[in-house]
Amino acid sequence: MSNLSTLTNGRRSAEQITGDLVPQPFGKRGMIWVSVLIVLCLIGAFAYFRQLQEGLVVTGMRDYVSWGIYISNFVFFVAISLVGSLITAIFRLANVEWSTPLTRIAEIIAVSAITFASLIIIVDMGRPERLYNLLLHGRLQSPITWDVIVITTYFFISLLLLYLPLLPDLKILNGQKTKNLPWQNKIYTFLGSFWKGSEEQFKISEKAISILCIMIIPVAFCIHTVTSWLFATTYRPGWDSTNFGAYFISGAFLVGSGGVIVAMYVFRKYYHLEKYITELHFEKMGRIAVMLSLIYLYFNVNEYLVPAFKMKKSEAAHLEELFTGEFSLMFWFAILVGMIIPIFVMLFKAGRKPFPMFIVGMMIVVGAWFKRYLIVTPTLLHPFLPMQNVPDNYMHYFPTWEEWAITIGSLAGALLIITFFVRIFPIIPIHETITEQHEKAEHISVSK
Amino acid sequence: MKNNNNIPRRDFLFTGLLTAALGGCNDKKNPFAQDEVVLTGEKVKLLSVDGEVIEIDKAFLKPIPDVPHLTNAEEREGIPGKKFVMVIDLARCKNLRKCQSACNHMHQVHPGQNWIKVLGMEDADHTAPYWQPTTCMHCDEPPCVKVCPVDATFKRQDGIVLIDNERCIGCRFCMAACPYSARVFNWEETLMASQGGSEEHHHHNSGPTSVAHQVKGTVGKCDFCPEMTRQGELPHCVSACPNGVFMFGDLNEDTVTNGAETFRFSELIKDKAGYRLMEDLGTKPSVYYLPPVNRNFPYESGLEKETGDEK
Amino acid sequence: MKKLNIFPFQNRPTLLLFVFAVSLLTRQLAAQEGKKIVKLHYVNSNNRVQYLLLECVLKKGKVLTPISNQSYKIYLDSAGTNLISNLTTDETGKAKAFIPPSLKAVWDASSQHTFIVMSDDEEVISDFVITKAKITLDTSGADGVRNLTASVMKMENNKWIPAADVEMKVGVQRLGGILSAGEEDNYTTDSSGTLIVEFKRDKLPGDQKGNLLLVAKVEDNELFGSLIAEKKALWGVATKVDTAFFDQRTLWSTRFRTPYWLLFMAYSIIFGVWGTLIYLIRQVIKIKKLGA
Repeated sequence: MSNLSTLTNGRRSAEQITGDLVPQPFGKRGMIWVSVLIVLCLIGAFAYFRQLQEGLVVTGMRDYVSWGIYISNFVFFVAISLVGSLITAIFRLANVEWSTPLTRIAEIIAVSAITFASLIIIVDMGRPERLYNLLLHGRLQSPITWDVIVITTYFFISLLLLYLPLLPDLKILNGQKTKNLPWQNKIYTFLGSFWKGSEEQFKISEKAISILCIMIIPVAFCIHTVTSWLFATTYRPGWDSTNFGAYFISGAFLVGSGGVIVAMYVFRKYYHLEKYITELHFEKMGRIAVMLSLIYLYFNVNEYLVPAFKMKKSEAAHLEELFTGEFSLMFWFAILVGMIIPIFVMLFKAGRKPFPMFIVGMMIVVGAWFKRYLIVTPTLLHPFLPMQNVPDNYMHYFPTWEEWAITIGSLAGALLIITFFVRIFPIIPIHETITEQHEKAEHISVSK
Repeated sequence: MKNNNNIPRRDFLFTGLLTAALGGCNDKKNPFAQDEVVLTGEKVKLLSVDGEVIEIDKAFLKPIPDVPHLTNAEEREGIPGKKFVMVIDLARCKNLRKCQSACNHMHQVHPGQNWIKVLGMEDADHTAPYWQPTTCMHCDEPPCVKVCPVDATFKRQDGIVLIDNERCIGCRFCMAACPYSARVFNWEETLMASQGGSEEHHHHNSGPTSVAHQVKGTVGKCDFCPEMTRQGELPHCVSACPNGVFMFGDLNEDTVTNGAETFRFSELIKDKAGYRLMEDLGTKPSVYYLPPVNRNFPYESGLEKETGDEK
Repeated sequence: MKKLNIFPFQNRPTLLLFVFAVSLLTRQLAAQEGKKIVKLHYVNSNNRVQYLLLECVLKKGKVLTPISNQSYKIYLDSAGTNLISNLTTDETGKAKAFIPPSLKAVWDASSQHTFIVMSDDEEVISDFVITKAKITLDTSGADGVRNLTASVMKMENNKWIPAADVEMKVGVQRLGGILSAGEEDNYTTDSSGTLIVEFKRDKLPGDQKGNLLLVAKVEDNELFGSLIAEKKALWGVATKVDTAFFDQRTLWSTRFRTPYWLLFMAYSIIFGVWGTLIYLIRQVIKIKKLGA
């Protein structure tokens, strides 16, 4: 350990790195941010309380549009959670070394998103208190059962993948008890007092992480494929597609990487992590995001052009509504802002600088949220048999304030989990950063 | 015109039971197994046509004798040996919506919602419009049942697709899966519950069934009136239609009836070229349609109801 | 600004009273709007059991709604003396009455009877007259031709004589209706009170043995009421109760009949993944032990 502090070449010592990366108390801006999120969550909770009392009648959903923004928000959460497997697992298996500072960001996004995906699906239920029926009477034929199983699995894998690499950092945090607040020490002791950093512990941990990284990839593919099957296993125009699994997964990786880019920028700016999350990281993430956007665009072309070429009667009404009708503004917004403009921006080197990347990341995430809305709602407004004999409000869908409040509350909640996580744990792995610097230094000294 | 069908079918059967009880003059067993009656064991004396004094079980004092209360499991199994079908004759429909109002009334369907919808259909620009009553199709390959995560909606052996509203979690996947948009959701407090005494009301209107009544936060739909068929009677929409549009029956009996007219199902389907909706989806509906040829009413005669209803 | 006192009620109790009165009034008006209709049916089933069925409906415009909890008294021939039954309609607006043995003398005394329905002291129905009648149904078959013979007898001057021109349905009892045995929907008796129908329903599914329940039914005849005769005949095709369709393991079956391939796939994935996860959790415990 001691030789780490004698690093040369302008590299930072272990103590400096630790000092840079340990969790910081919220500043004034941090407190405002947290307060706003908590208020949004409380408004959402109040809206849900109303929904529990009155029933789903408080939503804008009716018999035709029986799934609304709850479900599209659910799909959004599941999608963004996939990034954990991309950055942590795929990059790791592909020996991408620069991704180290991003792994924990990706993993906490995954965990918080998947948590709120499960919550929002409960919010959508007409009878949430009967959730236990899934255990009591669960039916393996239903894609919902598959989804429940696979989301639970993914949640646990993500949690483990967050926890195991955290152990060495907990040791570092436990080693500076005087600097921490008492409640922090309690958490650190509870979670990681047993980590001594012995070779044997490292060996077991490394192996476990490797297994997790391999396992999380098929499971991640499963969660989003199964989520897409909630739609693709029906007959409805716009959903009845064999393209859906791949289409969803490619979109998920894109929105996830967008989310990571935004988080990277915010953490970098707020915690002054310029030395750890460098311009190089934005540059590399930019290249990856371009590739992912192109793949997603490719699947979009498949998804819309092929049925538009044939214009089957049932599909035609749906597609026309998207291309030129009621939803066209949102549709072209999602396509342009969520895919095409980001591609053009990121194709240029200047576009892959931190600030443009932050903007592009926001565009991708916002575009992706609306894209999910477009996947769910317009289809339901085009059933096979005409919509007749129903009240006027059954023919349209616009979310009520309760739906917006709950949806915004859930997004705020996910951000709150990430915020609190950052307050308690180092968002950039300290131990791994130190080790990597050490290795690099050795590499340099050997080459000298 | 249609006669009113005020003599319930089960009146035939109690003579069977009676003769057996009076000394077993013949060994005939009631061929309609579902028509079992809960006997009280108490007898009442009455005068026969010939002026003889005979005895009969007290259960038959009721216009419709009680049928045995069924457990949830029995209700889910359905009636053995039955396979219910419906035939809807589009040539007879003039959008009167008596079926709809009777159905809504008997099942306490929430105002604004309908289990039966009468749709004004026009397949293409130059084809003739017609009125199409649409119920649940009670498919033999029900896409809604496939997707239910908790067995809340299920297919019975008599072909009826039902919903157990005490189990439904309200995920609404079945609504998305149904290509016929047959399912409705109880978005708010149901009519039954809001009028108080839900239990009692439910027993009156949907008979002794332990499933298929409406509960807030769960899905509802046309249920082929299982409590009626168990009593050997026709679903409410069938008896409510003055034009005899709906015909109901048992495929295993090869017969359908609207109460006034009774047809051999296979002949009717053959003679009138019956078909089912969206055959290409492979859902195998139990509801057949007869095409709107040689119509009893012009399409326009139904428009009055349409405009009047929307206001 | 000056308050305009356009509302006549200054205090709440008066207002409540007013609302109450208005609601009472409208309720009464609503009740008067519809017309109550009481109908009586006489049914003779297989010449043994006879009963009266009373129906009570509210007619409002074109809508008929059954009225429950309506009390009526039915008398035989003379109102006030020969009480048949006290009736109260059920939820379907119906009530049923058997003729009690105490009225045997009255019943036997005449071949024609009047049933009188009274609500409190008002005669609701007084002109419902029934002539005693009998119906028989016989089957015969020779040379591949199967015939149904139905005959109706009526009582006149204490003698059974044939009833001509009685319309009825002759056929097979099915769920909710009678499938006519021949080509006509209805048949009428001749001067000998008899009619013969050739049974033309070939290969009609019967019960498990092939039995059909044959029926002759006179419905609401103005002289005789409803007359029903039943007979079982082995004229159908035996049908098996086939539950193979229901017992299949398919995607739409219950959770107890999940297809094997799905069970196999699902459980192998679940056990594979969760087995590994449990292994990993044990590894974490191992790490913990190493540090303790």
